[in-house]
Amino acid sequence: MEPHNVAIRPALSRAGNTREASRALMSDWWTQLGEADATAAPVANTFVMGSLAEVLNAFDIPMMFPEIAALQTAVKGKSMDYLLAAEDIGYSPDICGYVKVDIGLHNTGREHPLGKYPKPAMVVSSNMCNTYIKWSETWERQYGCPVFVLDLPGWRGTGFEYSSTSETFRNDVKYVEGQIRDLIDLASQVSGKKFDIDKLREILGRVNRMSELYQAILAMNKNRPAPFNALTEGINYMGIANILRGQPEGVEFMETALAELEERVAHGVGAVPDERFRLLLVGTACYTNFREFVGMFERWKGVFVASEYMSFAGGGIDRGVRYDLDRPIESLAEQILITAQPSMSGIFFSHEWQARMAEEYDIDGICYHGVKSCRTTAAGLPDAREWLLNNANVPGLFIQSDLVDSRLWAEAQMRNRIDAFFESLQSRRVQAGV
Amino acid sequence: MLVAGVDVGSTQTKAVVMTGDHEILGRGLCPTGAQLAEAGHTAFSLALGETSFSEPDVAFVVGTGYGRFNISFGDAQVTEISCHARGAVHLFPNTRSVLDIGGQDTKAIKVTSDGQVIDFNMNDKCAAGTGRFLGAASDALEIPLGELGPLAMTAKNPVQMTTTCTVFAESEILGWLAKGRRVEDVVMGVHHSIATRSVALLRRAGIEPEVTFTGGVTRNSAMVEMVSQFVGSPVNTNEESHYCGAIGAALYALDQVLTGASAERGMPI
Repeated sequence: MEPHNVAIRPALSRAGNTREASRALMSDWWTQLGEADATAAPVANTFVMGSLAEVLNAFDIPMMFPEIAALQTAVKGKSMDYLLAAEDIGYSPDICGYVKVDIGLHNTGREHPLGKYPKPAMVVSSNMCNTYIKWSETWERQYGCPVFVLDLPGWRGTGFEYSSTSETFRNDVKYVEGQIRDLIDLASQVSGKKFDIDKLREILGRVNRMSELYQAILAMNKNRPAPFNALTEGINYMGIANILRGQPEGVEFMETALAELEERVAHGVGAVPDERFRLLLVGTACYTNFREFVGMFERWKGVFVASEYMSFAGGGIDRGVRYDLDRPIESLAEQILITAQPSMSGIFFSHEWQARMAEEYDIDGICYHGVKSCRTTAAGLPDAREWLLNNANVPGLFIQSDLVDSRLWAEAQMRNRIDAFFESLQSRRVQAGV
Repeated sequence: MLVAGVDVGSTQTKAVVMTGDHEILGRGLCPTGAQLAEAGHTAFSLALGETSFSEPDVAFVVGTGYGRFNISFGDAQVTEISCHARGAVHLFPNTRSVLDIGGQDTKAIKVTSDGQVIDFNMNDKCAAGTGRFLGAASDALEIPLGELGPLAMTAKNPVQMTTTCTVFAESEILGWLAKGRRVEDVVMGVHHSIATRSVALLRRAGIEPEVTFTGGVTRNSAMVEMVSQFVGSPVNTNEESHYCGAIGAALYALDQVLTGASAERGMPI
């Protein structure tokens, strides 16, 4: 019998039930997508990194985020059905699990556990993930839909610095701005609507506000105890940040969430009762065994006060998006260039971000969760772990499973490593006399 | 006053009964099999059988290993990573790096002078470089596990085994024999392969002398030789190394009794 129960989260405050709100908003999103599919209204497939939701929203084109849809199949215990369907038609077990869930969905009647999985009328892709482009091509071949690929120039510096006044940067802005104008033309063509720059301006203004709120939400976890777990509630915040980017409901949700967290802080309510260890997650959770995964940390009273996932998969709004509404398209190009770079170059520089987070959030240890079917995000994690231990004296745990493939979940091995990590954290405390 | 440590590993279960003066009065060893709780109790009973005491005389029992949560008579659990670290420093006080080659896991651990874990690395999702690799060779060659080490020591021209898969090792072994290579050269190739992978893990954690080698594979003289060779200096082992995890568990049990800490039953210490 399991000797420890997963901690029961604190009752949510008077400010509103954010968890319920996020569920309702997600449900509305699926309803909207289902209605679009039923009426053959155009839907755009896009991604959490480089979504260009601002442009798509300006044309009222509903967006499908296949990464979000894929992780939801795992939480619902259905991802294997789709993974196997994709493997049956020849996709290798080594390919990104999100891709295979999506392929499986599109080839088995497009019935997602939460609603109808729509056909894309267009695709917004980018070079932010090296799988996005080939993934997009599968839809292009299956449905004949146009694929727009945003090409973001890579980092040419030697660290996380980007001079927004340099000639190189200004040239990059022009290059990206030209692409955004191409996307505006494409979205206009697909939706049959004219471009309204004032509408884009309003959307950008709301993204600015969402970004301010999202940053304030993240900063709430500098408090002790941390009012939210970046692994659980953090996923909700991130999901809404993506699907309602620049929408009034998105702003409202973030305001509610922040108010709720402020109230928790005021009352000393922590996400994990009797918080003992403050952790940073690098990588993602394992969604097929999400509760078990979370429970393995909570049984030690460990709380994830921050997560790299909330950064790179949050569309960059954690980095402070500040659009200049007087020059919306140019500013959109500037901001995406600035906020996208850490995600694109994370393999080289993420250790610096981790060291900063460890200091700012008073982190005891870092959990590096390598995703077996995503070598892109998993590469470099052991090096970062060693760097943090040797240069910042922040210990790290390296574990591996997958986002959506339950065949890669080995509970006994996972638990053994996690327990050993907490034992070592505990020993450190004893040695430090804490 | 007595305490005990019970290490329910993936292939073998080990137990020791220890006095408050760190003297080991009894040791127990049995195959783990499918009944983890039973194996734990059997090893514990065997260890007690070497003493003049009975179960009620044991003040505190700490379970470790993959089956630690199945030790129904245990008072607390600690992972084998922490237990091997603690046990290794107890056996060899100058230990700063520990290499434990177990049945399915290989652990490379950096430790403090008092046996606390600073950092550890383990194999993941693959049992190449673990004791299981030797088991596969033993099965393929129909040579008892205990004879592999001495046989390997007679090798003159070891083969180069791949280090990729324990399951495929069997067919690779047969392949080398089909090419006419001598059995001892093939067996030494297996040892070489395991040592390469294991010491690579140790390097990742950072090799700091002294290095102590623990776990059941320490009984294999060829493996001790190979690990020492790759580490670049002799590694510590002795007749207690096989029981290192259980010894560490017993030391944690002793902490509980001596400090008067009252770990809630089943709680991690």
